[in-house]
Amino acid sequence: MDNSTCQAYEDEIRSLEEEIKLLAGKYEDNQQESTFFSDEEILMAMKSFKEEFRGDYKGYESPSDLEAQLESLEKDLSFVMKFTGLQFTSHSKKTVERTGNRAVQRHRLSGNCHSLSFQLEFQLLEEQNKDKVSVVVTDLSIVLESGEDSDVSKFVSSIEEHGNLLMFFRSLSSYAQWCEHRSSTFLHFKVE
Amino acid sequence: GVYAYLEMLGAQAHEAALKQEEKEQQEEKLDRLKKRVEELRLQRDKLRAKVDLQEKRNLGKEGFVSEPAQPSAQSVIEWKIRSLRALLQIFYLTGISGKPTKQGVCFCISTAYEGTYLDTYHVDLLTTADVQIYRHSIPVFIPLGQIAKKYLQTDIRRFLAVLSEHLNAYAGRRFQVEQLQEHFSEQIEGPLQKNSLCNLLVFKYNMSSESKTFLLNAKLLYGDICSSLPTEVTVSCSPDAPAFLTEVAAAHSDLFRRMALHKAFHSISTAGSMEA
Repeated sequence: MDNSTCQAYEDEIRSLEEEIKLLAGKYEDNQQESTFFSDEEILMAMKSFKEEFRGDYKGYESPSDLEAQLESLEKDLSFVMKFTGLQFTSHSKKTVERTGNRAVQRHRLSGNCHSLSFQLEFQLLEEQNKDKVSVVVTDLSIVLESGEDSDVSKFVSSIEEHGNLLMFFRSLSSYAQWCEHRSSTFLHFKVE
Repeated sequence: GVYAYLEMLGAQAHEAALKQEEKEQQEEKLDRLKKRVEELRLQRDKLRAKVDLQEKRNLGKEGFVSEPAQPSAQSVIEWKIRSLRALLQIFYLTGISGKPTKQGVCFCISTAYEGTYLDTYHVDLLTTADVQIYRHSIPVFIPLGQIAKKYLQTDIRRFLAVLSEHLNAYAGRRFQVEQLQEHFSEQIEGPLQKNSLCNLLVFKYNMSSESKTFLLNAKLLYGDICSSLPTEVTVSCSPDAPAFLTEVAAAHSDLFRRMALHKAFHSISTAGSMEA
């Protein structure tokens, strides 16, 4: 009798811990995804955070800890956008589903690549199977400026049909390289 | 006699003490577990209430007067940090992502077949003097040396683009084989032979017509290792096979040339028997 009560308690503990984990995740997702702060608001927050700090360490070594994290991430992002030519101007995501080993998010992304601007929407499914994480893009929709060109719209339709997000970005990137090459070549001739 | 009797009493007392101790331990354990369950239930209920409040606020329910808590400066900054991290994650989906290191850059190349993302590979470059590859996870059958020799010093972007082409084509070919083995294992007869680069495939497969099963041999050569479609396909049947089978073999050969392998098999199986 004692053993089975023990077991029942242990099972309930496990299930509660699981539920708490999911709820905590959901809470965080909601917090993150339903708010937006502009760059000015971020700067103001940074300023007031430094002022608040006089005397009260909220789990950080110093205000510069948080500032350092922010700066480092901005630097990394700036590097990769400059290198690839892909400038993302806005990004939002909404967690549509989150269970034990599966998460589905809806993403909205806009940006430009040289003179071409684009807006995308897609669904991202992440699933944990044993030791592998599978990532699948579905429901892809792309709006590409200069989409009146029939070749471009054929290209976009084919990408959307197969969810070929990676191919889309690779093609944009090589277009960017071509643009850069062309403009540097042009400059060369101009100087001559 | 007396001594043995005393011994026995001692043993009994000892055993009784042990049993009592065990009982107390069990009760203690049950007590602990019960407390823990109550703790967790409380925690769970609090969280549930928080999440419900959030959702009501987000939906802007009628009559619900929300007093949104003024976010602290710290939480605003943490929000921004999480947004930036999310955006950096997106770069993995674009195929090429990179992070500056002390002596250069560490690049990450992702591969995908249509909407399914496959393996990621790393190339760690040193850029202090001339560009050098410090570390990488590129498989040995990808001609990294050749590609580096051609592009690494003059055009890193092109180096990465070409490397990405090779890796994506390889990943795509491997994916097709894996899909074939996963979804059409009943049609494949015997082992599917392939090389590490997955650009040479040899296998036997069966197809049925009028309740008879026939065996076909397939050989696929992917001459262009930057492509996930074969350049040469040979589908043959045994010499004593009926005449119509040669036409089927030719049709399949054409199909394998134009279509991804697993999609070709899907097309074959849904079309039923391929009668001329």
